[in-house]
Amino acid sequence: MIASRTRRARKAFRGQIAYHGAGIAIALFFLAPLFITFLASFRHGTQARQPAIPPWPTDGFSLDSYRSLDTFGAGVWQHTVNSLAVSLATVVLTVVVSLLAGYGFSRYRFPLKNVLFVLIIATLMIPFQSILTPLFIILAKLGLSNSLIGLTLVYVTLQLPFSVFMMRNAFDAVPKEIEEAARIDGARDLRLLVCVLLPLVLPGVATVAIFAFLNAWNEFLAALVLLSSNEKYTLPVLMMAVRAGRLGAINWGAVQAGVAVMTIPCLIVFLLLQRYYMRGLMAGAVK
Amino acid sequence: MTGSGQKQPLSSRRRRENTQWRGLLYIAPAMLLVIVFFVVPVIFTGWMSLHNWPLMGTSRWIGISNYTRMFNDVRFMSALRFTAYYTVIVTIAIFAVAFPLAIFVEKQRRFVGAYRTVIFLPVVIGLATASLLWVWLANVDSGFIGPALKALGLVERSPNLLASFDSAFLTIIIMVVWKIAGFTMIILLTGLQAIPAELTEAARIDGAGRWQRFRHLTLPLMRRTIALALIISVTGSILAFDQFYIMTSGGPQNRMISVVYYIFNQSFVSFNLGYGAALSIALLVILVLISIVQLRLLRIGEERP
Amino acid sequence: MIKRLLAATIVATLCLMSGASATETINMWVRTGVGDSFKKVVEAYNASHENKVAATEVPFSELVQKYATAIAGGQAPDALSMDLIYTPAFAAAGQLEDLTDWAKQLPYFNSLSPSHVRLGTYQDRVYGLPLSVETSVFAWNKDLYKKAGLDPEKAPASWGEIEANAEKIRKIGDDTYGFYFSGGSCGGCMIFTFTPLVWGSGADILSADGKTATLDTPHMRKAVDAYRSMVKKDLVPASAASDNGVNFLSFTSGKIGQQSLGAFAIGTLVTEHPEINFGVTLIPGIDGGTSSFAGGDNFVVTKGTKKLDAVKEFLEFVYSMEGQKVMAQYGSLPTRGDIADKVLEGLDPRMQVGLQAIGVAKTPYTLQFNDLINSANGPWATFTNAAIYGDDVDAAFQNAQSEMQSIIDNAQ
Repeated sequence: MIASRTRRARKAFRGQIAYHGAGIAIALFFLAPLFITFLASFRHGTQARQPAIPPWPTDGFSLDSYRSLDTFGAGVWQHTVNSLAVSLATVVLTVVVSLLAGYGFSRYRFPLKNVLFVLIIATLMIPFQSILTPLFIILAKLGLSNSLIGLTLVYVTLQLPFSVFMMRNAFDAVPKEIEEAARIDGARDLRLLVCVLLPLVLPGVATVAIFAFLNAWNEFLAALVLLSSNEKYTLPVLMMAVRAGRLGAINWGAVQAGVAVMTIPCLIVFLLLQRYYMRGLMAGAVK
Repeated sequence: MTGSGQKQPLSSRRRRENTQWRGLLYIAPAMLLVIVFFVVPVIFTGWMSLHNWPLMGTSRWIGISNYTRMFNDVRFMSALRFTAYYTVIVTIAIFAVAFPLAIFVEKQRRFVGAYRTVIFLPVVIGLATASLLWVWLANVDSGFIGPALKALGLVERSPNLLASFDSAFLTIIIMVVWKIAGFTMIILLTGLQAIPAELTEAARIDGAGRWQRFRHLTLPLMRRTIALALIISVTGSILAFDQFYIMTSGGPQNRMISVVYYIFNQSFVSFNLGYGAALSIALLVILVLISIVQLRLLRIGEERP
Repeated sequence: MIKRLLAATIVATLCLMSGASATETINMWVRTGVGDSFKKVVEAYNASHENKVAATEVPFSELVQKYATAIAGGQAPDALSMDLIYTPAFAAAGQLEDLTDWAKQLPYFNSLSPSHVRLGTYQDRVYGLPLSVETSVFAWNKDLYKKAGLDPEKAPASWGEIEANAEKIRKIGDDTYGFYFSGGSCGGCMIFTFTPLVWGSGADILSADGKTATLDTPHMRKAVDAYRSMVKKDLVPASAASDNGVNFLSFTSGKIGQQSLGAFAIGTLVTEHPEINFGVTLIPGIDGGTSSFAGGDNFVVTKGTKKLDAVKEFLEFVYSMEGQKVMAQYGSLPTRGDIADKVLEGLDPRMQVGLQAIGVAKTPYTLQFNDLINSANGPWATFTNAAIYGDDVDAAFQNAQSEMQSIIDNAQ
């Protein structure tokens, strides 16, 4: 009896070891590229051309890579501010617009409802690269070309199919009784939406917000085509210039530093809000 | 409620009339954006596709010539072939990695949350950033993979991974799996967790083996989730562009030109905007067809309990 | 960050205020990757003039797309430093300001770089004027020559000699290579450095009228063989096979024995890498002779700009002795033949070789330059990689020849 129990315990222990062994190996695979890049970005400027073996700085910690990144475009600060402005504006607008639309699609009946919903979802089907030229011309007609506002509006549109879908599902999951009760208490329309329903769909909002942030932060082709002056470029456009090299040589140190600058805000946003994010994502996937 | 029982039908009818208008009001901002920045550009694209439309200068109506040209365009056909090839391979690769991962992180045990987070991390960085990161890792002289292989003594000299089609393709596949697998994993995880534990337990008591349980219980019950993950993966792969543009600029000897890349080249490098528009419309049709097929798949999933 | 934002706002306000006075700010675009000469001449101009030039650097691979899109959207800059080979296409599309009358009254008009003016002229009207001139030349690393037991002062005169030297240099060390070229589908790099091999011997890749592709010549076959042989003997770094141009100046690493590069590279080497001791000569043809590619940028003005006078003032500054000196210092050859010698006085003597090259240099004139040659996915770029690195040379020739012809025919 005791023997079998210890045997079982040992087996379970061995299982644990195997499980976490595999887990650590997997985690390494997914972490290593990011980790190596961060480490390598602190190597000396003179080492940027050398292979990253070992990837950590061997002769002292240095910010050379970041300094050389700063020499591209209008300086890395300017572009970071641009990127942040566009991303945060995209988040706010996407949340507001999709919250309203999700509520409308979930709770109301009106003519052409399904057609309109499919139309929004259909945005996913078109590679927006292929409608860039018309977009550019339309923005120019609206007086919004080469402006971060125009870029933001385009980003919000690109976010809508996913966001509206998410928010509709989120509202669908809220029992109608809650709403009825609130109505009887006198809450109407926007007040009802903001005070009663918003807290209930918060995980969905977080998901939508995080996706909007990440996509706006990371997008490069539209930014490249739609913006035309140096000081308005967002970070990914700066990165294209870094990738294109300067004076006939690519500075890998600047590439590493750029990847770090591009990545860290994404990781911070994700790690801070991951609980909401995952919950929202899973809720969306189940529906 | 009981007190207003008699009034109710009337007020609810009136409310429904009201709500119809309100509903439109709620979705108006979204519709406005979609119409201005999506519907109009798409219609415009369709209009352009019937023209010889250089980026500069005047456009000329040429009817369906762009479309007939498309069917004789060898390079477009090879772009289609490559995109199909890539989509199939990368989707298989993503599922082959994401499914075991989903099973791996399904049960609540110690550190499982940490594993999930770590696997999901690459999802949140951009594809362009990831491509940039990997193009450095794969660099023959200043990178990491080649020199590391050499340091481990596995190869005599650092290989240039991006110089030949096969190794470059493999590098891109690994990069995409690294970047996307976490996302697919989470979606599949929701499917796995939605399976009632009693069902699995009952099957085990009935003596079904691990594989049998997976084959006859897990897979059928996850049909919908799998279909969803499949749609996302296939659509994303068909529209692939960044990784080929940034990592190989079209690949050794032009062999990695995806459809979107070809459209981009036609429109913004050769400035055949009309032809590029026709290709976009063709791509749109292809995607819609594929989506219809996939939605069927989803619906089949729905009919099952 | 808030401080930064505040600072930005203040700067913006100041800019608005200064915009109210009579001075003008010319918006100009310039491609990245062609050295610092343009940036420096703008700095010099801004320091000494009331009007200002605001230069925006655009990644070189995206400049043409961006400019064309910006024109379509009515958001183009006032002027542009444009790779000269694109001038015909943009002029033909009617997007550039006709500069003929003003240009012809410049006292030195006839001594401006002829190939630039030729490419800047469309149907007898002048739309583009030379801004920066550069030619391709052959460079060798004298220190590595010495280490390999070669005479560091003796320039190689044939490709046989280059290969033999490369072999000796390769033996110096594991990471030292004899030769380098951007072989990963960089059409622009290869037209610049590789076609001189066949030009020097009298062949060309396009017929004189630009209507027939003439890629498959015995000279081109031999040139390809010369490169193939060096690749096969491991005299070229493995990275060359996938370099799409971003590492065009690998020579600056000091580990490359010989490379064909541009005159602007001489400026870059002299100012940024003084540690590299190098010599330059003309690129030998595969069957004797020498040749070069005359490249560089034309200055073009967007049609309808309101700042034409300011633009002209800037260009006159560029053509002045002072402007020419600044540009030459950073590797752009003089655009004015009449004062070229004076401009280069006191500068690095190796710049003279670049100037000499103009005499033997060619520039293809075709409206389809981008599609045929420069695009990373065009037939020429694909050809250079396939023929030098691929397994089937014949197929590479055949495919490229037929694809080039079909692009030419489609455009007629």
